[in-house]
Formats: sequence, structure tokens, C-alpha cells
Amino acid sequence: MTPILRPVGLIARREFAAKVRGRAFVVGTLVVLVLLGVYAAVVATLASGEDTARVGLTGPAVALTDPLQRAAPTEGLTLAVLPQPDTGAGEAAVRAGDLDALISGDPVRPRVFVESEPDAQLERVVVDATSALARDAYLRARGVDPAALDAAVGESGPAIVAAEPPDPQAGQRLGLGLAGAFLLFFSIQTYGAMVAQGVVEEKASRVVEIVLSSVRPWQLLLGKVLGLGAVGLLQLVVLGGAGLAVAGVAGVLAPGAGLVSTLVSVLVWYLLGFALYATVFAAAGSLVSRQEDTQSVLSPVTITVLLGFVVGFNLLTSDPRGTPMTVLSLVPPFSPLFMPARIALGVAPAGQVVLAFALTLAFTAVVLWLGGRIYTNSVLRTGARVGLREALGRARA
Amino acid sequence: MLEIDGISKRFGSTVALDGMTFSVRPGELYGFVGANGAGKTTTMRIALGVLEPDAGEVRLDGQPLDAVSRRRIGYMPEERGLYPRMAVGTQLRYLAELRGRSAAEARAAADRWTERLGLAERRGEEVQRLSLGNQQRVQLAAALVADPDVLVLDEPFSGLDPMAVDVMSEVLRERRDAGAPVVFSSHQLELVERLCDRVGIVRAGRTVAEGTVDELRETSATELVVVAPDAPAGWADALPGVAATRAAEGGTVLTLSDASESTLSGVLDAARRTGPVHEFRRRRPALAEIYRDTVAGAAATAPTAAPRTAA
Repeated sequence: MTPILRPVGLIARREFAAKVRGRAFVVGTLVVLVLLGVYAAVVATLASGEDTARVGLTGPAVALTDPLQRAAPTEGLTLAVLPQPDTGAGEAAVRAGDLDALISGDPVRPRVFVESEPDAQLERVVVDATSALARDAYLRARGVDPAALDAAVGESGPAIVAAEPPDPQAGQRLGLGLAGAFLLFFSIQTYGAMVAQGVVEEKASRVVEIVLSSVRPWQLLLGKVLGLGAVGLLQLVVLGGAGLAVAGVAGVLAPGAGLVSTLVSVLVWYLLGFALYATVFAAAGSLVSRQEDTQSVLSPVTITVLLGFVVGFNLLTSDPRGTPMTVLSLVPPFSPLFMPARIALGVAPAGQVVLAFALTLAFTAVVLWLGGRIYTNSVLRTGARVGLREALGRARA
Repeated sequence: MLEIDGISKRFGSTVALDGMTFSVRPGELYGFVGANGAGKTTTMRIALGVLEPDAGEVRLDGQPLDAVSRRRIGYMPEERGLYPRMAVGTQLRYLAELRGRSAAEARAAADRWTERLGLAERRGEEVQRLSLGNQQRVQLAAALVADPDVLVLDEPFSGLDPMAVDVMSEVLRERRDAGAPVVFSSHQLELVERLCDRVGIVRAGRTVAEGTVDELRETSATELVVVAPDAPAGWADALPGVAATRAAEGGTVLTLSDASESTLSGVLDAARRTGPVHEFRRRRPALAEIYRDTVAGAAATAPTAAPRTAA
């Protein structure tokens, strides 16, 4: 390694080792993994235990058996029809929770006994069944065969030709995009704040003076950002990988659907976004000398990111193709959060992706220059908080 | 040879250094003394490249210092600092590597210095778990671990227990004897007097006196100690060549305005006339007194330029 980069590597290695071996990282990652696992288990249980509506029939209402079973699939309901010996036994079964409803009396105007209120889906199925019975009786009385009518009606219908057929994997893409945006936000906030804390810790413990008598400030800053960025990346890969595995096992995720391109774009945008935010966080951290003051200089940054994230997350779910989303994903500080999501959704034209990337790259370069200057000017100043104007003054060579 | 040549530095409207100049030769232990705010720490920070001077230059062996040659300097900042959550051994190895040592060299040096400073048992412990005295030892080890050619130590003795002061003195002498220029600042003037080959006294950002302690004595006014038990008070007040007298050291201390033979014999004769004379000698002022006189003298003659409240 060249002499000028060796210190950067040493610093990055120290930061990486100090964090990865730290209890906070290991425990934090494990906790998130366990939560992910629990969540997946819950989702899987809910999915497998799909509800079957259990309906008891008694008396003349037994005539509803066929119409009920025909109506259930059109409403997307799985229905079990269980004949009951009499009303009393049926009502007891409803009270005991063995039945969802007991239908008795006139099949066209039946009495439906439920525990407190009928399930909306079940109610629609019952209404469909009773109207089918009434319609069939009316038609038969006038010499029309209901089955023939149904067949004729069934053959009718338009043929729909779409200019842009909906993506059958749209849901999955949206999920990937949202998860990507969330992970990026989480990672950048967490590890960006860690960079700031590291900077303040070095200032507070005064070790920075010894380090800066051996290396240049930009080497220290770069090493720090690289080291902690690598920790963030490691966690991102672990969590993202676990999330994908869980989603795959739970059957939420089918391979394909731009999975690989989404992963690649999330990683690339993470690197760019981290360099951008970590530098801002480091510069902010260098303005104060005590851990207690860190929050006060970080909050303007974190609140901006949080606001952008909340607005963007809502836009992403409601209107990913709209102008507000497009604009947000082109504005440099927010591009790293939302461009990967739009890429995952397949709604980002290549031109916009390139533009956002170029803008973010340029913005990051400016931030690196300004942030490096603030850092260099403030990192050795202990005591009171350093004013921004002062920090931006003449940088030392 | 470490040369500090005409360094000036302002912080906003405050002048911290005003043409600070001195040099430390190889194999020389140089004491850097001055009041708080006189500019000692700023000078050292500039020498280490932690601050940039507004004017002037720092040279090592005739070459202006740059990022690479600065790594040859072992530095102990006034503000002590180490990574609190890093183990002693790891930390020392890291700092040595940052100064350009290979991993193997760094390991050997960290082991050697922890051994030497009685920290061998503590290598695996986090610095924040050590006692304050041991933290100071680690700090010294941090200055020495990269095997520096020059030592620049800011207040290395402050906060040390007597045992640690001895270890520190021994280490400084050892480096000096090995041919390194060693400079340190201190308020403990007896220690400076005992240890240092040369001393520089600074005031308001510039060197006001420099030399061996004996050379500095030459520049201050000659004083005589006369013990004549029967002499009445004020016996020497009106003698020619005597500027002031005071009762001290068991007799009378006379400050001479003119240390010529005739003044000396005049004083001796006057003393004899009062009765027996038990003691008649030239007084050797302690560094502390020279320091006080020098700083006070410099204050009296200082140009009335911009007000100086040095940082």
C-alpha cells in the first residue's frame, strides 16, 4: 500500500474491528434477526391457517346448500356447510364457536343466527345464495331454464387489451423497493450517527491530537468513513440476506422480479449515500467536544433525512410514478434513499437514474470538500461548540 | 537538530506566538518554561503539524518538517488522550503503525515499552480500566513506541507520582544519551534545573532567555550572601555598587548593581567592621528565581504593542 493510503487502511481497520467486535453490533444484529424470524413465523402461521367459514343449515334452509357453495368461491371464501339436526343444537354450536352462523327457515328469507355480527364476506355469500334461489324460482315459473341463462351469460364479456399489462410481480417489487429504502435509511442513520460519535469520542478523549500528529485530517476522516461504512455494509448484507431468506421461505418472494438488479442498486446507492451522509455527520460531530452535545448538532441532519424519508415512503406506496416522487428521487440527499426503490419498482427511466447518480456524485464531492474543511478546522478545537462560519474559514494545508 | 525558527501564530485577534525561536541539538535535553498562555503548547502543536503557523518554519536536521519527517517525532500532548475502550497493547501497536512502523516492529516496540514501564500485566486491559498513573505510563509509551528520533513532550511530569517522575526522568536522559534532541515543557522548575542541559524561557509568544542554567545565572544580577552576626540592620544599604539588600539565608543578601572587585572588597571591609564574618559568598540563584526575574524584566521592557492575552 502506498505510504499515503496505509494510514487510511489502518484507521479503517481499527474502526471496523472496534465496532464489529463491540457488543452493541453483535447484540443489535442478533435482535433484529430474531425479530425478523418471529415476524416471518407469524406471517407464515397466518397464511397457513386460512379461515374456513362454517355454516350450519337446518329445516327448509337446507335448500341453500348448493347456492351457498356456488356463491362462496366468487366471494373468495372457503365455506363448509354443516347440516344441523335442529335450531336449538345449531344455535348452541354457534354460541360455542363451532359454527360461524346457523341458517334456518325459509330459504329465500332465512333467519341467520350469529354470535354478535356476521362476517361481511359470509353475509354477501348468503345474500348471493338467497337471490340466486329467488331468481331461479322466478325464471322457472316463466318457463326459462336458469342453467341455460347462466351459460349464455357466462359466454359474454369483453376481451381486454392493455397497452402496459400490469406486472404480476408488482407487489413483490414494491415490497423489495420499500424494504430497500428502509434498510438504506436505517443503515445511513445508524452508521452516520456512529461516525459522528466516533469523531466526538476522539475529541472528548483528546486522542485526536496524537493521531493528527501522525496522519492528515483527511486521512483520519476517510479511514473512519470507510471503516464504519464497511460495518454498515456488513450489517446491511446480513439483515438484507436474512430478510430475503425469510421472505423466500415464507413464499412471499419469487426469484426473478429484478431481485438481482435491486440488490446491486441498493448496494451501489448505499455506498454513495453513506459517503455523503457520513461526511456530513463527521463534520457536524467535529463541531462539539462532548458526547452530550452531539445530538444538538446532529438533529438538523437527522430530522431532514427523517422528513424526506417519511414523505418519500408515503409517495412510494401511493404514487411511485408521480411527479413529487420523481423530483424527490432526483434531489441528491434523497436519491440514495428512493432511487433504488424506484428502480426496484421498475418506474425509473434510465435517464433519470443516470441523472440522479451524477447529481448525487457531484453533491457528494462538494460535501466531502466542505465537510473535510469543517472537520479539519474544528477537530482540534476543544471547549465551546465551534461556529459553522468559523469552521468554514481557511483550512490548513 | 530541531529548530523552531521565527514562528508566529494568531487565533483571531489573539497573538499566541510572536516570532518564537529556539533550537534543540542532538543529545540535548531542553527545558521549555513559561507561564500558562505563554505559547508553549501552541509551539509544540505547530512543531507536530497539528497546527499551521502563520509565519516561520520548523526544521529537523536542516530540512523543513513535513508529514513524513514528523513521524520521527515522539509526541506527548498536554491534553492527554488515548482511545478509552481500546486495549493497551492494541492501542500502542496501532499508534506505532500510524507512525509508519511495520506490524512486526510495532508489536515488538509495544511489548518492549509495556515491559519497561511496568505495564506488561496490563497489555490486554482497556485503557479506561487503568489507574490514572498507569494511564500516564501508557501515554509515555505512546510517545516512545514508534522509536522516535526526537521527543517533544508537553508537561510530561504533570500528574505523575514520584516513582513515575523517576521513570520519566530516566527515560528522557536515556533518549538524550542516545543522541535524540529532547524538548519538554514544565512548570516544575527544580526538575527542569536538575534535568535539562539548556533552558528556554518564554513569555508572550517569544523566547526571552535561552542557555544553560549557568549561562542564565550570568545574565541575572550578581548577589552576595554575607553572614555577619553582629552587623546592625541596614549596615550595607549605602555601600557603593549595592543596589538592594534584604535579610535572607541567615544573613544579608546584597544585590549588586556593579559586581567589580572594588565593590566586592568594599562590601567585605564594611562587613568586617561590624565584627566577625562567618560567610561571604556569591549566591547561586535557583532557576525559579532567574525565571521570575527574567519574566518580570521582559514585562518591564516589552513593547506596548497590541494587547496580548495569549491562548
